Amino acid sequence: MSAGPDLAPAVRAAPAGTVYRGRSGQWAFIGHRISGVLVFLFLLLHIVDVSLINIDPHLYDEVHELYGNVVLRLFEVGLLFALVFHALNGIRIVMVDLFPGAVRRERRLLAAVVFLTLATCIPGGYVILLPFIEGTLTG
Amino acid sequence: MRTTGPDARSRRPRPSFETWSWFFMRVSGLVLVFLALLHFAITHIVNDVVETDATFVAERWDNPLWRLFDWTLLALALLHGLNGLRWSIDDYVRSPARRTSVKAVVYTFSGVLFAYGTFSIVTYG
Repeated sequence: MSAGPDLAPAVRAAPAGTVYRGRSGQWAFIGHRISGVLVFLFLLLHIVDVSLINIDPHLYDEVHELYGNVVLRLFEVGLLFALVFHALNGIRIVMVDLFPGAVRRERRLLAAVVFLTLATCIPGGYVILLPFIEGTLTG
Repeated sequence: MRTTGPDARSRRPRPSFETWSWFFMRVSGLVLVFLALLHFAITHIVNDVVETDATFVAERWDNPLWRLFDWTLLALALLHGLNGLRWSIDDYVRSPARRTSVKAVVYTFSGVLFAYGTFSIVTYG
């Protein structure tokens, strides 16, 4: 975003404060924000596509068929990663809030979040892409 | 924060809107872990996405409990997301006038879609 001339120097310098040298915690924070915004934007889109069923079920089916397309399947795999990471990292945040001692194991907790995200989303993503993978293999 | 009056003596500050907002994010987040992941598993893993057509939705929404499930998911996810967006706007949009206008647009847009989504779930069939 461009810093307009209407901002005082102190205010203009302020956004730099949102990037701190927090190492793993910094990346968890950024990942949580980005995954949260992505899921929220999908939710807004999803409200509109589901609502089509009230206008005309055939129209719903026509639009809904697009989700079976390989490009949108890849998008759904991305949504799965964002959703699972956001959920697991959210649990990590709640744990740190409830048990302040967990802060000392902060890096290990984040490693567990990343490991569990990959361990569930890689097989999950495979299942989502399966019709495409099989379609490619069989012809 | 209050610095004068009888409250200044108590150690714990009175819960403000932001305290409740923090609490809401934790509670709704934990509920959403189950609701959102179950919803995704049903519509993308257990069933293939192309199977969740209008007939699938019709059968599911025949049961009012699934409508309640979907509406709870919609309401909690939207409020949780909106509050997260509010925190992000406060972090990145520094000019007070711009902050107010960005929030006005985001709240209006989300509010309209929330009403529209609620309308879809309630009036279907």
